Amino acid sequence: MDYLEYLFAGFAVFWAGLFGYLLWLQARLRALARELERLEERLAEADAPVPEASLASGEPARPTPAPPPRRAPTTERGAE
Amino acid sequence: MNAARALLGAAHAARWTALPPLTGVAMLALIVGAVIVAPREAVEGEVQRLFYIHVPAAIAMYIAYGITFVASLVVLWRRDLRADAVARAATSVGVLFTALVLATGAIWGQPIWGVWWAWDARLTSTLVLLLLFGGYLLARSLADEHDEQAARFAAIFAVVAFLDIPIINMSVRWWRTLHPQPIVLRMPGDQALPDAMLAVLAVGVVAVVLLALWLVALRADTEQLAQRAAALRAAVDRREDA
Repeated sequence: MDYLEYLFAGFAVFWAGLFGYLLWLQARLRALARELERLEERLAEADAPVPEASLASGEPARPTPAPPPRRAPTTERGAE
Repeated sequence: MNAARALLGAAHAARWTALPPLTGVAMLALIVGAVIVAPREAVEGEVQRLFYIHVPAAIAMYIAYGITFVASLVVLWRRDLRADAVARAATSVGVLFTALVLATGAIWGQPIWGVWWAWDARLTSTLVLLLLFGGYLLARSLADEHDEQAARFAAIFAVVAFLDIPIINMSVRWWRTLHPQPIVLRMPGDQALPDAMLAVLAVGVVAVVLLALWLVALRADTEQLAQRAAALRAAVDRREDA
């Protein structure tokens, strides 16, 4: 009466749970890295220098390239 | 004071240098000990070896929620969002180990008790703990990472939910349960486990607690990164609106 199949199942569940948690954590880190990249791009666009040609022509200052349509703010979240 | 700070700094740095290899070696020792070294239990047979992961997982669960409790008190006392990140990290790891304790307990219980689950005090109060802190994580995930008010409400909830831990611990003494009475932590001189089993259990506790601490550190760093990303997101939104 050793119930080896239950012993195997118990250890399998334990290790699967731990590895599953680590995989989920890795996915969360990847999502955060992607979000940081997007934020860097948006920050660079917001800080883009005014082109000299437009200053010389007297046109109103406008950062180039034209910013893409904005996403809804503060809704982008990680894989929580 | 400076020595304490230096010690804390060294411990903080060790989470990436010393903790992972130590945890790996200890987990290997746990596997060898539980599967090979520990003697076969006479009544339950080989399935009793689940004891060497079930009990350490329960102790890691207590420690993780203990960290949540202390970090939540720090959130309430100092309004420090870094402590909120630690509280969420420890809760996440606590929920993981609670689920593992319940799962390994059910798998062990089926051949020995004849049922996967019984509504006895120990099992039910542990399930309540899982639901309480699962709810904490769910509610906290709905608010922004750097929302101070949400952090304070979550801290109050965590402190109250922590009261379930002593109930779980004492449940087998206060009520008649299917779950066995404590066989490790008894009165001095009243040792129920053979030395070989006790040694393997000690290795298992060290291994799983180290693993839990490493996971908490890993998750806390992730949460602090998420808080900084949320603050940066808000700043970029403001700059674009200006």
